[in-house]
Amino acid sequence: MLARSIFQKRSCWRSGNVYRLFGRRLPASTVEATEMKPTVVGHFSTAASTPIKSTFDCSYKLYNNKVHYLSTSVAAALERVDNIIDIPLAQTGEGIAECELLKWFVKVGDEVEKYQPLCEVQSDKATIEITSRYQGKVIQFLHVPGDIVKVGETLLSISVDASQVPSDVGKSSPTSHPTEPSKESSDLSKTQKGETLSTPAVRNLANQHGIDLNDVPGTGRHGRIQKEDVLNYATSIKNKPAMVNPSSDKPTLEPEPIVQHMTNESLYQDKTLPIRGYQRAMVKFMTSAATVPHFHYIEEINCDELWKLKVAFQKQNSDPDIKLTFLPVLIKSLSMALTSYPLLNSTFNLEKYEVNLKGSHNVGITMATPVGLVVPNIKNVQPLSIFEITKELARLQKLAHENKLTPEDIRGGTITLSNIGAIGGKSGSPLINVPEVAIIALGRTQKVTSFGDDGNVYPVSLMTANIAADHRILDGATVALFCNEWKKLIEKPELILLHTR
Amino acid sequence: MATRHVAQAGRPLMNIVRMKGVPILQQLEIEECLLRTSSDNWCIINDGADRPNIVMGISGKPAELVEIKPVLEDNIPVIRRFTGGGTVIVDHGTIFVSFICNKDDVADVQPYPRPIMSWSSLLYSQVFEGIADFRLRENDYVFGLRKFGGNAQSITKNRWIHHTSFLWDYETRNMSYLKLPKRAPEYRLARDHLDFVCPMKDYISRSDFISRTIGAAGRLFSVESTEFEAVKSSSNVNFTPTSRLLTNQELEAANMIAI
Repeated sequence: MLARSIFQKRSCWRSGNVYRLFGRRLPASTVEATEMKPTVVGHFSTAASTPIKSTFDCSYKLYNNKVHYLSTSVAAALERVDNIIDIPLAQTGEGIAECELLKWFVKVGDEVEKYQPLCEVQSDKATIEITSRYQGKVIQFLHVPGDIVKVGETLLSISVDASQVPSDVGKSSPTSHPTEPSKESSDLSKTQKGETLSTPAVRNLANQHGIDLNDVPGTGRHGRIQKEDVLNYATSIKNKPAMVNPSSDKPTLEPEPIVQHMTNESLYQDKTLPIRGYQRAMVKFMTSAATVPHFHYIEEINCDELWKLKVAFQKQNSDPDIKLTFLPVLIKSLSMALTSYPLLNSTFNLEKYEVNLKGSHNVGITMATPVGLVVPNIKNVQPLSIFEITKELARLQKLAHENKLTPEDIRGGTITLSNIGAIGGKSGSPLINVPEVAIIALGRTQKVTSFGDDGNVYPVSLMTANIAADHRILDGATVALFCNEWKKLIEKPELILLHTR
Repeated sequence: MATRHVAQAGRPLMNIVRMKGVPILQQLEIEECLLRTSSDNWCIINDGADRPNIVMGISGKPAELVEIKPVLEDNIPVIRRFTGGGTVIVDHGTIFVSFICNKDDVADVQPYPRPIMSWSSLLYSQVFEGIADFRLRENDYVFGLRKFGGNAQSITKNRWIHHTSFLWDYETRNMSYLKLPKRAPEYRLARDHLDFVCPMKDYISRSDFISRTIGAAGRLFSVESTEFEAVKSSSNVNFTPTSRLLTNQELEAANMIAI
């Protein structure tokens, strides 16, 4: 396709470092932008000591002269982290497609016990308490009271330790035992066949002990297997003597050599990683983004003047909590360029064949957090000063770092900016946050040589911007003209002052 | 209060509390307290509210459900209850029946709205057997196509409440305080209140209804009477109810927003 052939013909991109970025709405990829030195939200610049959720590792591929994965470059430094489980609104009854969230019983950061009530929802005639299937820590709410939540939509995310992650993760319990009517009925039908009669909690306990419930005698009503039955059975099998290999007179192998043998073998065994939490959301968003025909426009921007502006701002800044970086200027200039080219700040509805030109420039900034990648957005950039953008960016970064971003912070973005250059790499190839129509990836600013007007060679700081656009809505000319406008504002930032009202 | 759960023939115990003319707000407070703090099963029967009250569900919006101006003028209390569901206007002609159960004591009923609703309809079909063409239609109790009983529920971790307001009789003028709700059952077919509801008194007396209801409950539970005073006194301890009376200021503010 046209867009791809243009991209492939640019041999410089094939030989350089290229990122394939996955921009997504909630949550999304990459870190907050800085400039030369990736000081960021800190998660990647301090990768040696900061635990990074494995979903990020799987989110990025670095295509260098040698193809390798980001995860391999920092794998040695990563610590194993807890699993993040999305808890959806489970089916609360036949024919119920959605519920109203009434209130939360917990807060972000709270430790929750298994079966502890998390929230209350209302479906038609009933208020229903939703309890937790897991013990863990509340990471993020995806809805606020008053929201109408569809069945199956994620309510909140909880971090749990790996031992709790079962194969059918992602279901909340409206009540403590059954997860949904159909599942419950299938459990009941199982019991009617004469198989194990037990609750999900007991089955989970048996799984943890590696016990087949069919082997456990139940002492409850109608032969129901209770928790004590499982624990007693677990104790009884521990006390059994070791099996002797029936095919040989020799005793079984010594434990140590067996373990060693298994470890060596396990290095070469296939592993299955379940997709959970933010990565699961990313799968959904990227699948959606894959339906959008992307057009990539790449430009190099001279950041020398931007650098001087930043130094000047820093000299004037007296607030130690506010860190002045390139990004607020890039955001402000982006908004000014969008005023001239509003089509890039729109959403597309394929069903209605409509483009909705958004009045506010809600610029999403990709950030990495301890639990994954998110894209909060700075609302209504147009009337904000660069300083106000800086403060709002700092606020969102702080919340992202503390994992306290609210759905309102993440909702409503109209265009996304991704500073993958904070990690490294000359450029990226981002994917659009549907239903937005454009996303911009900024590569690392690099000092390169350039010819001046006098024919002499000078050093310049060049940053590569890759604008990915929805080719159903945006054509190359529009994106090129927009980029020219934006580039002009960045390379001559005094124009920002000239046009600011 | 009784703490035994199993009495005769392996059936779980249910405490029956009969009241008459207890204010609906007080009844709701007692019910919520029993739901959240008791571990027994209860059947609360209140034979008539003391005076007309409008009772909305937990997320009811007065501007959408109530004719606020006449309600304010006539000083009709508006209550937001702790359960879901729609809006009713209750008075001395309303009979309230509430079942508060441990889900484990009704083990063959899954603790979800629909199964509980179905369970209740089976109980009441015994009450009205041979008397009227009773059925559960969507979430309402009807004779034919006319509603005489409205339901609401609250389901917690281990217990649930299913409560019903039965229109044994009603005053026509009271219906004019209610708006036609945005969300209505399909079978309502845009009928106004008077064409949609019907009084139970045309089919059964108050005392017969109450005794037959207790009888139907007795087939599922081992029923035992408990005095209202005993319930009333113990329910005030360390519990903050959700159901509350809306203030005039709130109603006025809602009216302003609606305008």
